Amino acid sequence: MNQLKALVLKEYREAFRDKRALMVALMMAFMAPIMIMVMSKIMIEKLVDEPPIYIKFTGAEYAPKLILHLAEKNLLNFVDVPEGDRVAWEQRNITVKIPEDYATNMAQGKSIKLHLQADFTDKAVKPPIRRINSAVREFSLSIGYKRLLLRGVDIRLLNPVKLVEQDTAKPDATFMLISMMLGIYLMLAAFMSGLSVAIDSSAGERERNVLEMLLCQPVSTLKIVLAKLIGASTIAFIGVVLVLVLTSLSVGFVDLTKIGATFSLDMSTAIFLMLLLLPICFLASACQLFVAFQTKSFKEAQSTVGMLIGIPAFIPFVVSMMDDRPEWLDWLPISGQSMIIESVFKGVEVNWLAVGATSTVTIVLTVALVLGLAKKLKSEKVVMALS
Amino acid sequence: MIEVNNLHKSFIDKKDKKNTVKALDGLSFTARDGEITGILGPNGAGKTTCLRTLYGLLSADEGFATIDGISVTEDPLGARSKLGIFPDKFGLYERLTAYEQIDYFASLHGMTGKSKKEAIEQVIQDLELGDLAHRKTVGFSQGQRMKVTLAQSLVHQPQNFVLDEPTRGLDVMSTRILRNHLAKFKAKGHCILFSSHVMQEVAALCDRVIIVANGKLAAQGTPQELCDLAGETHLEEAFVKLIGSDEGVAA
Repeated sequence: MNQLKALVLKEYREAFRDKRALMVALMMAFMAPIMIMVMSKIMIEKLVDEPPIYIKFTGAEYAPKLILHLAEKNLLNFVDVPEGDRVAWEQRNITVKIPEDYATNMAQGKSIKLHLQADFTDKAVKPPIRRINSAVREFSLSIGYKRLLLRGVDIRLLNPVKLVEQDTAKPDATFMLISMMLGIYLMLAAFMSGLSVAIDSSAGERERNVLEMLLCQPVSTLKIVLAKLIGASTIAFIGVVLVLVLTSLSVGFVDLTKIGATFSLDMSTAIFLMLLLLPICFLASACQLFVAFQTKSFKEAQSTVGMLIGIPAFIPFVVSMMDDRPEWLDWLPISGQSMIIESVFKGVEVNWLAVGATSTVTIVLTVALVLGLAKKLKSEKVVMALS
Repeated sequence: MIEVNNLHKSFIDKKDKKNTVKALDGLSFTARDGEITGILGPNGAGKTTCLRTLYGLLSADEGFATIDGISVTEDPLGARSKLGIFPDKFGLYERLTAYEQIDYFASLHGMTGKSKKEAIEQVIQDLELGDLAHRKTVGFSQGQRMKVTLAQSLVHQPQNFVLDEPTRGLDVMSTRILRNHLAKFKAKGHCILFSSHVMQEVAALCDRVIIVANGKLAAQGTPQELCDLAGETHLEEAFVKLIGSDEGVAA
């Protein structure tokens, strides 16, 4: 026990004194809330106002009333575009062609064809197109209604069936994207934060020739591995806690009520998430140590372990895209946790069986990795790699 | 007491069987308590492999090694607890201070509390590390690094002490401190196994010398006996002669 205490103490001393590596490790945690704030600000802007849209009109002079109607809907002429936005709207290149015979056809009650041209696959063009579409339809309908009214027809005849839409989505659901991102961020923080410490205490120590000395001491390799695991996963856990704390603080600065959303990370949710992610921190560090000890050099360890980070980012994405989720996904590490995090943010009842199962599987996997690594450190191969 | 008996060790290249290196080929020797035993041998003679087998890092294909009667293969932790090691390649934990580093190794050897503190103070005083003790080891010179490593391997007062070329890079003063220290340990009845390439040092310090060549014992005896055996007056000449003619004089 004393040995383990000394080993862990040394790992902590080394980890916390390497200020620069520690900063890089916890960068992730500091970045998350900023990203989430910026994202939600952008989302709110998109959802709340109807930003001006600039359209290149040809033949605007033939239909002054239409142009006026569009201008009321903040659909403006490209001629008036402010200098700063010119390039963006030049690229989107939305054009509306108004035919020469607009006025005569209007007077004669003939149908008029306006042509709207744009790259419809461009994501940035879609909302403007939608708005132009509805504005033109509205304008057209209002003229049509007036014509019918003049002829003494009740315009209600035109709408025999009316669809009334009632949105049952909870206010939180509009905020889904941000909470999903937070989920992925938490998973990434668990995997990223401990990374540098894990590599430094395994491949780094071997490169600095201190591992051989340690292996010659009367201390079991299991204790060595455990101490390194505790060192790295503590940093990983600090990363997770930082993401949670900083996010709950920073979300306070964004006025989500504008889009009818609320997002609060209360104490009990935060603690639940921490406990849920604790085994993941251990698993992440165990994987990193296991891989880093197998590599031939510090450099190789960095690149190989770097690839490991792809997994936690990849799995929650795939899981969230899946429509039919097979049941075994509940049980696996990472995917299980990410689904539970999702339901926590959705406000859905948490499946406690799944929580227990995925945590157990994660812990069992970690224990297996630790035992495997302890055994490997006894083998001659590792010793031969020392020199 | 350190005993090595008929050690065999080959490193097999899996891809190319012909590339197999026979590092140890039936090496046997004994280092007795209260004596300083020197191991001499040219580069690649199998010294480091032999010592690594002694630490329990490598397992011999044949033969055994014991430390105070404890087999290093059967009870590696027990054997290692009787051992103080100054390895061939060593590094320091550069973010720890010298004191913390020595403390770390003392704790690994199961020392605690007041006795640990006293032992650390003692070794720091003995090796004249007082000025360096509370500095981080990152900018230490080669000699200072050596001293810290020595301190960490001596702090638990091991019965047996293995040093792999301990004087490389040390200045004259530090070498003398080390020599005095080893002599003190010897007087207290400790067993010291010492590898070196500096013949004067071996001649001056060692009670018995073991010469290893090609993974085998080439000769052993006091420095004087070895000189007599080879018919030379200097140990260096004797050494060259003894390893060069391993069929002739080999024990």
